[in-house]
Amino acid sequence: MRPFAYDRPDTAAAAVAAVADRPDAAFLGGGTNLVDHLRLGIADPGLLVDVTSLTSTEIVDIDGGLRIGAGVTNADLAADPRVRARLPVLAAALLSGASGQLRNMATTGGNPLQRTRCPYFQDPASACNKRVPGSGCAAIGGATRNHAILGASEHCIATHPSDMAVALAALDTQVRILGPDGGRTLAFTDLHRLPGDTPEQDTELAHGELITAIDVSYPRGRHAYRKVRDRASYAFALVSVAAVLDVVDGTVLDARIALGGVAHTPWRAVRAEDTLRGGPATEEAFAAAAEAELADARPQPGFDGGNAFKIPLARRTLTATLRQTTPRETA
Amino acid sequence: MKFSINGVAGSGEPQPGQCLRTFLRDQEHFEVKKGCDAGDCGACSVLVDGALVRSCLYPAVRADGAEITTVSGLGTPEDLHPMQQAFVDHFGFQCGFCTAGMIVAASTLDSTDDLPRRMKGNLCRCTGYRSVRQAIEAGVRGDPPRPAPGCGVGDSPNPPAARRVVTGTEPYTFDLAVPGSLHLRVLAAPHAHARIRSIDTSAAEAVPGVVLVLTHENTPQERYSTGRHEHREDDPDDTRMLDDVVRHVGQRVAAVVAESVAAAEAGCRALVVDYEVLPAVVDPEEARRPGAPLLHPDRTPADRVDEAGRNVVLAVHGGHGGDVDAALAASAHTVSGTWRTSRVSHAQLETHGAIGWLEDDGRLVLRASTQVPFLTRLELARLFGLPEDRVRVHTARVGGGFGGKQEIFAEDLVGWAVLRTGRPVSYELSRTDEFQRTSVRHPMRVGVTLGSTADGVLTAMKVDVLSDTGAYGNHSRGVLFHAIAESVSVYRCPVKHVDAEVVYTNTVPSGAFRGYGLGQVILGVESAMDELAIELGLDPFELRRRNVVRDGDPLLVAQHAEPEPDLVWGSYGLDQCLDLAEEALARGNGVEPPPGWRVGEGMALALITTVPPFGHVAHAAIHLEPDGTYRVDVGTVEFGNGSQTVFTQIVASTLNTTVDRIVLRVADTDAVAYDTGAFASAGTAVAGKALHGAALDLRAQILSRADGVLERDGVRTAAGLVPFAEIGPLTGTGAEFGEQRSLSSNVHAVRVAVRPETGEVRILQSVHAADAGTVMNPEQCRGQVEGGVAQGIGSALYEEVLIGEHGEVLNPVFRTYRVPQMADIPDTEVYFATTSDTLGPYGAKSMSESPYNPVAPAIGNAIRRALGARPYEQPFSRDRVWRLTQPRIMEP
Ligand SMILES: Cc1cc2nc3c(=O)[nH]c(=O)nc-3n(C[C@H](O)[C@H](O)[C@H](O)COP(=O)(O)OP(=O)(O)OC[C@H]3O[C@@H](n4cnc5c(N)ncnc54)[C@H](O)[C@@H]3O)c2cc1C
Ligand code: SF4
Ligand code: FES
Ligand code: FES
Repeated sequence: MRPFAYDRPDTAAAAVAAVADRPDAAFLGGGTNLVDHLRLGIADPGLLVDVTSLTSTEIVDIDGGLRIGAGVTNADLAADPRVRARLPVLAAALLSGASGQLRNMATTGGNPLQRTRCPYFQDPASACNKRVPGSGCAAIGGATRNHAILGASEHCIATHPSDMAVALAALDTQVRILGPDGGRTLAFTDLHRLPGDTPEQDTELAHGELITAIDVSYPRGRHAYRKVRDRASYAFALVSVAAVLDVVDGTVLDARIALGGVAHTPWRAVRAEDTLRGGPATEEAFAAAAEAELADARPQPGFDGGNAFKIPLARRTLTATLRQTTPRETA
Repeated sequence: MKFSINGVAGSGEPQPGQCLRTFLRDQEHFEVKKGCDAGDCGACSVLVDGALVRSCLYPAVRADGAEITTVSGLGTPEDLHPMQQAFVDHFGFQCGFCTAGMIVAASTLDSTDDLPRRMKGNLCRCTGYRSVRQAIEAGVRGDPPRPAPGCGVGDSPNPPAARRVVTGTEPYTFDLAVPGSLHLRVLAAPHAHARIRSIDTSAAEAVPGVVLVLTHENTPQERYSTGRHEHREDDPDDTRMLDDVVRHVGQRVAAVVAESVAAAEAGCRALVVDYEVLPAVVDPEEARRPGAPLLHPDRTPADRVDEAGRNVVLAVHGGHGGDVDAALAASAHTVSGTWRTSRVSHAQLETHGAIGWLEDDGRLVLRASTQVPFLTRLELARLFGLPEDRVRVHTARVGGGFGGKQEIFAEDLVGWAVLRTGRPVSYELSRTDEFQRTSVRHPMRVGVTLGSTADGVLTAMKVDVLSDTGAYGNHSRGVLFHAIAESVSVYRCPVKHVDAEVVYTNTVPSGAFRGYGLGQVILGVESAMDELAIELGLDPFELRRRNVVRDGDPLLVAQHAEPEPDLVWGSYGLDQCLDLAEEALARGNGVEPPPGWRVGEGMALALITTVPPFGHVAHAAIHLEPDGTYRVDVGTVEFGNGSQTVFTQIVASTLNTTVDRIVLRVADTDAVAYDTGAFASAGTAVAGKALHGAALDLRAQILSRADGVLERDGVRTAAGLVPFAEIGPLTGTGAEFGEQRSLSSNVHAVRVAVRPETGEVRILQSVHAADAGTVMNPEQCRGQVEGGVAQGIGSALYEEVLIGEHGEVLNPVFRTYRVPQMADIPDTEVYFATTSDTLGPYGAKSMSESPYNPVAPAIGNAIRRALGARPYEQPFSRDRVWRLTQPRIMEP
């Protein structure tokens, strides 16, 4: 790990200015992702600007939902009674990820911005367009277990690893941002981007833009989060699904669904939602929704048969999660 | 900045970028351990203002003004925290390296609901978690301390170090402040195969703080093997300290020694290496084909490389009893299959490393994380051209080994750097170094064909093994010989044939690992036996009974028609193991599969010799002090195998004394004349036997001075108690040479549920029966079995070091290399056969490697019976199992 400078300015605006001024500066949240990357030698900032005490560590009520300060830890968020009661999909997603020790450190601002777990990205010796633009993508045809089946490009097939972000993508979520030129708000589903030919950019945030808070509205309906991984606990998702289904008298009034582990973004399952909305909440409808969502899925060739297994896995996990949200069956 | 640690106020400035873990260790809070430095293992857990965090990812500057609590702040050896007490009482550790973090994490729990999920951030490689879980449950309940256990044979006294381990006060290798120590770091090769044209060290030498740069040009160039054995000729001489040829990604290219870790790392980055990249081969099948790139073309059979021109280190071809193909053709039934096993990392929580310095008289001293201090000393003395007595190697408590520390991975560089600089030098490997540069379990391709009569009596057995040793041949010969030994000799079969080869590839080297190759071939043989049982419609236990060797039978490997002369059935327990496992499985445990999951049962057996062949030496001495203290010197290392506890029991039983009167000095080349080392399960069987001999010798000497009954405070004679002050000091000695070997057996059985939609495998019941002879310490022996089973489950279901097409390790961190968590390991019912071995001390046999061996085939057999399709490739990961459920995508 190389030496770097550390700064803890007094205000968020000063932090933004400090980072915006230096191309090699970065915000430091809980550090659980960034410090790890420093050690792996894949991030190399000259200046770390600590923002945990500058952004709010409070969760406050706003009209129809919550405003979550970017400094709120994942542990505090998952334990909040309002989150548990009215946003159970978010609580479940948080608790399915990492460990208690890490959740005590990880922050609301840092979690959605954690970087991919693509093994080639994490290995400084491998070719990786995300780490070194133009160097190639060693993952293609390699170990593709954790890679995308939706929205990948010929330049990058990485997936977004966060659990929390999958729940936030399913919910009606707005990201509050402070930049060098002032504040703005972005829909959470617009925060992350597909790799295209610029996989080095994970999100639409410009250098120096700080997440100050995240607003989430309470949805109507029943929530479910499911995560399929290689071990019984504590591993990143091969596939995960967050779903909130509002079913009245057997008819789906509204559906909010997102998939994790399948794409460069937390994947909002718009096609599945459209298929379900207005129709019956039946097993057949769920299967049809899953079918529609994964119609364009493409497997990645690679070791051990590549990741073709993820397509049916995603389909089944999606169906099973939807089933879990319907009142007549308790999963 | 200001802070308080365990209630003591302190101040200090962290280095830029320093994490809290190393900052705390700089304050000599050595109880804060490192397993990964990446947030994955939990060994570094501490409380910051009461909140549980991983200090390895916590920027130290954030601790400004904070109250920090480590495991040593929770309690002391004299005054344990209830959670620490519970870990002592429930044997909640083996090597104890995970324990500090485990206890800190557990101390924050107020309920044990959903414990596996709450503890998912804390890895333990040794225990298999059952004892940890029970300890935490007891600690949360606040159970009173358990009454002091007896310390005789068959009791379960605690390890002598228990109270220190749970309070973080038992030192491990690096838990020692060496003033003025230099730090060594290594530059890793980026290529799988390359010749080094030149290394420009000038920029590195100019980095402030850099003291020395080592390359192939200024280090000894004699070849040796990192693998260590009683006979150095067991391993090929194919390795150089620093070589001008790189044979795998991650190989050491150069070492930089500097005043700080940061300077050493900066020095490594400043090295300029000019490589001539050579063609590489990463597939073992390719490696032995004509035209393949050759890794060690100049080695000869004199170096113990059989056919360097085909990359073959060792080839074993042969059979007995006649033509195997003819015998198969004439058999009523035949089954056949090819199995593949993965590279598995030892993942012991304490990484490799060593600290070295010079004593006042110039003698080189190494404090190393090793299982073999004596063998390391011998080889280093040879390499450095020093007389043996000018080198001393010792260990502190070792944080897990499992065979991976029967190698020299750090001591050579450290020793040389100490000799060159005259200053103390320390080198601690990172977790990624462990994955890229130490060793893994040999991956093997195992083909097995069996023939039998209509009644299920074996008629022919043909085994074809291809083992991949990676870039270097350390242990590859021994592992191959062992792999095709007890796996084959456990069955009576008139015709046997084996074709086995181990080859070099441009990948991370393979090495010694619990089970020593047997598990891989047992997967093939025991799976084929299961296929045969299915084909015959016979119960698998019954098929084994019809074919296993019985008490007194000769043990015949395929390549020899005669049994090895040093093998004796010290006791026979395989029949009991089969019965115990079968009965337990039949009893069931009431755990139901989730609806829709398919259920299958499977079993497998394993036999293993108690000591490695060709001798294993141990010396022991016991000194009686006038105050009745027994000072015990044994050479062997404690690395979580529990040998110290067993030694205490042997001394206490033979000399009729109590634990508090016994002082152990172990694992030091100064302690005794010689000890081969702690491997091949030899702790009890060899060192324990030497110690037993020493105790008997001392006892005889004592009683020759005062005729009567030996008691704790003296000898009770007709005239009253003669105190030791009138008898001692006296010394008893013992030695054991492992000239004869006995056999242990193990049977594992499971009931699993498989979810066809996802390929998820859940173990509903896990049963293990073992013949350990006299069980010296039942709690500890159970722990060894559970730990071996847990590693078996890891290999069976999760673990695989992945190699990329350029030979690089793709998952060199715990995040992507999946060591089982608490939630992954079910409780195992452990049963012991009642036998008493004629060779071992008090009738005991070894029991630390063998429990691993039958686990994966038992699970594979159960999956086969659940799905009607057999997994052939280990690990039986979800996607592989799922693919079995898909029509037409079945594997061969
Ligand atoms: C062992 C381990 C296991 C894990 N398992 C899981 C899992 O199963 N599921 C899961 O979802 N996650 C998992 N994680 C990831 C963990 O959740 C993330 O590392 C964490 O949420 C990141 O938050 P942080 O505050 O520590 O971010 P940091 O590491 O501090 O920052 C991450 C990135 O965000 C930037 N950043 C931070 N705060 C802000 C802000 N306010 N505005 C703008 N940029 C900012 C940083 O510059 C950096 O680029 C695991 C991590 C580890 C170490
Ligand atoms: S998939 Fe993306 S992150 Fe992974 S190696 Fe390719 S470019 Fe890099
Ligand atoms: S050393 Fe910190 S989690 Fe492993
Ligand atoms: S006792 Fe847990 S890692 Fe050794």
